[in-house]
Amino acid sequence: MNSMPAALRAISSLRLAVVLFALSIVLILAGTLAQTQEGVWMVVDRYFRSIAVLIPFQLFVPEKVLRIPGVFPFPGGLTLGVCLFVNLLAAHIVRFKLSWKRMGMIVTHAGVLLLLVGEFVTGALAKEGTMTIAEGASANYIEDGRTSELAVIDASDPADDLVVVVPARLLADRESPLITNGLLPFTVRVIEWMPNSRVLGPMQASKQQLARATAGTGTQVAAVAVGVATGVEASDSDVPAAYLEFKQGETTLGTYLVTPRLIGMQTVEVGTKRFQIALRFERNYRPYSVQLLDFKHDRFVGTETARNFSSLVRLTDTAQHVDREVLISMNNPLRYAGETFYQASFAPDDSGTVLQVVRNPGWLLPYLSCTLVTIGLLWHFGVRLSASVKRKVA
Amino acid sequence: MKTLARWFPALVVVFVVAFLVSIGASALKPVARVDGVSLDGIARIPVSAGGRTKPLDSFARNTLLRLSGRQTYDADGTMRPAIEWLLELWTNPDEAAKRRVFRIDHPDVKSLLAITEASRTRFSWTEIAPKLEEVVRQSQLANAISRKQQDPFQRAISDLYGKLAEFVEVQSLRTPYLAAPLANGEEWAPLLAADPHGQPATGASAQAIRAVLVAYAAGDAAACEQAVSAYHALLAVAHAEAEERSALEVFLSRCEPFYQASLLYLVAFLLGCIAMLVAPLSAERWKPSLLRSALGVIALAFVLHTLGLTARIYLQGRPPVTNLYSSAVFIGWACIPGALLGEWFARIGVLSLAASLIGFATLVVAHNLSASGDTMEMMQAVLDSNFWLATHVVVVTIGYSATFLAGFIAIFYVVGGVCTKLLRGEAMKALPRMIYGVICFAALASFVGTVLGGIWADQSWGRFWGWDPKENGAALIVLWNLLILHARWGGMVRDRGVAMLAIGGNIVTAWSWFGTNMLGVGLHSYGFMDSAVFALLGFCIVQLALLCVALVPTTRWRSLAATP
Repeated sequence: MNSMPAALRAISSLRLAVVLFALSIVLILAGTLAQTQEGVWMVVDRYFRSIAVLIPFQLFVPEKVLRIPGVFPFPGGLTLGVCLFVNLLAAHIVRFKLSWKRMGMIVTHAGVLLLLVGEFVTGALAKEGTMTIAEGASANYIEDGRTSELAVIDASDPADDLVVVVPARLLADRESPLITNGLLPFTVRVIEWMPNSRVLGPMQASKQQLARATAGTGTQVAAVAVGVATGVEASDSDVPAAYLEFKQGETTLGTYLVTPRLIGMQTVEVGTKRFQIALRFERNYRPYSVQLLDFKHDRFVGTETARNFSSLVRLTDTAQHVDREVLISMNNPLRYAGETFYQASFAPDDSGTVLQVVRNPGWLLPYLSCTLVTIGLLWHFGVRLSASVKRKVA
Repeated sequence: MKTLARWFPALVVVFVVAFLVSIGASALKPVARVDGVSLDGIARIPVSAGGRTKPLDSFARNTLLRLSGRQTYDADGTMRPAIEWLLELWTNPDEAAKRRVFRIDHPDVKSLLAITEASRTRFSWTEIAPKLEEVVRQSQLANAISRKQQDPFQRAISDLYGKLAEFVEVQSLRTPYLAAPLANGEEWAPLLAADPHGQPATGASAQAIRAVLVAYAAGDAAACEQAVSAYHALLAVAHAEAEERSALEVFLSRCEPFYQASLLYLVAFLLGCIAMLVAPLSAERWKPSLLRSALGVIALAFVLHTLGLTARIYLQGRPPVTNLYSSAVFIGWACIPGALLGEWFARIGVLSLAASLIGFATLVVAHNLSASGDTMEMMQAVLDSNFWLATHVVVVTIGYSATFLAGFIAIFYVVGGVCTKLLRGEAMKALPRMIYGVICFAALASFVGTVLGGIWADQSWGRFWGWDPKENGAALIVLWNLLILHARWGGMVRDRGVAMLAIGGNIVTAWSWFGTNMLGVGLHSYGFMDSAVFALLGFCIVQLALLCVALVPTTRWRSLAATP
């Protein structure tokens, strides 16, 4: 034991474990408070899945009470998770001896390791998206509500559409508000990019707001920027919008309002050629399609509180010879092709359904982990309790 | 004196039982309007409001509670039950308009209404009506911005508008849905359609209810009695179960078991304190006698607490924890058996003190949380799963309870140890063992409960862990308990350190329980949450102060110094 290097003793020590717990507590507290200002995904990336994070002092004190500028560096969730993992593993290699009495703790810790691995796998590999389907319609792609893209479609070739996709981060980039692409005969100038927006109808918008766009739907409705949805509000996700000017050389083709809230495509005309444009959530296409046959939304009598909602869908995958009807409802998801479809929400007026589609190769790990930890802790405390009862009796 | 001390616990228990029996009996006593028209049968009529079938009595109580902050009202100098106010609203609107049922606290709102009485906080429709247009205008101005951005006046005016709207909604019989469905395919319906051009309900139950209201308006006690019985007879076939639940709920609202239980916990706490105080003064026999009395009272309070919880489970058809209110009721409940078990083993009295204090405090919190109206409201679709409510929610709430219990025992350990000689000897050793044991249990329950929550989330929307505030709150409690355990195993803390960390656990648990709910509404929230922010802050400051007490060097702890 004495020959063990001091370093190994340190990384396997209980003292380090306690320090890591304390740091994790501070990190989680900060990451929770940060959600009063930022969206939950932003916080997850910055705090919980990062190597290090700069935490503003202001988080811990309401601004109305005291204004404190400045930030302090802090280890991120990834760092702490890896450290906890190493510490725990090292402790078992160095200190733990295999015995019946110790078995409970060993099983528990195995479960905890699995939990850490599970969260890592989820962070690295899990993909989430939504599928919005109107009643009667079908969809074969999944939208990622956290990233959007400007799609420009040249449908002049009857055989094939030419689609050029501009990721939203290029639109949001203030340094280079001009976007060009060899396949397009025009450039796009970003007049305003709104990370989150609200659409004002013809009656709500002022004349000036409507005048911002010179062509397309934007002449009838306007968009205004609103603050990003914070984690604590847990309401809707952000819906971006942009005012874009399309130019051919120096001649303007018009300023358009684009946002995923506008349904359908708008048209930009360049000479005789017509291009369709839309800002939409990033789409990932799938080999199967889901058709919404019937959407049900029951409410409690006399209230708007949802009692239950469910979607009867038809799942078709020609390559796999799949063609069947499935009922997806709250707490009753459909699992298919490594993905799980959950009943998440619904379109306005109950005209369609919103399914949450998740692919998470690590989804089983927490289940295993929970089982191991429970068995382990019951074992451990059971052994301890019986020992202390024996002592008392003796 | 010797005999008195010996029989004192029995006397106390008999007295408390008699008190409870008298409460039960008075809840069963008939209640009538001054002119003799009975209110009992009407109170039990099941109606549908907020999606739940409940007795008209509960609807009246919840509505009046939201409008005025209490379940009774001032009828020309005497306090009368909510149901009487509701019936007056329907049968004698002119008189009802003069009842002071709108609670207004904000001075600017009062001055807007041209009210000069600074001390009064409840006002009548008649007093507000002349300024109605201004209230509507102001609330429209206020509601143009989000609740979070509104200043206190804007919130107050927007709240007042909400109350006025609710008042009108109820007065015009659009809420609640009074007419019960009698045949297949029928639905609960309001007497007057929500849509102004809609047809009023005409079915058999609507007619029966109208007959009741007409007889009530006429003040004809016999006719009213007959009409009410006729309607109950009509319901007995199609709604037998609702009728039964209705009767129980009315009885429960009148008994207020949680309120009585909180009183008993308080009495037990005081008995325990007196026991501790008299210990050095009197002969040895009074301390055990008083402690046994306290234990008896706690046991009775616990029985009452349990009956109340069971009744709620039966009425709702759900596991015990469904919202913040019921979590408060349950946290207190779950702590008691743990503390009593410990007391039975160790017999040091401190655990009775901790148990009664937790029972009292959590029921006070629950009482304050009930101000928003129906505590048995329906649940959002995603939460509508008895399996997960029964497993995740119950287990995680037990985890909260255990963390609080450990923290409260630690408080008594610290205060008793530093300031008194009461914990000399065995107690100073037994208490830390107990704190440790409870923390072990808390770690187990909070971990399993939290992970079960993750599994529920994975089942519902495919995300085991989403790092949202509520989840993080639960994770903090788990980590805190793990930190205490590992620090103890590693020899970094001993008895005093564990106790201090356990007191810190009170802060962590309180924050996770309430703090996470407050984040969304900002510091300047409204209603209970507004004062709750300060209550939480106060609670945390008290815990910090207790931590400072614990920092007194152990050589100066009176209980330790006195150890031979």
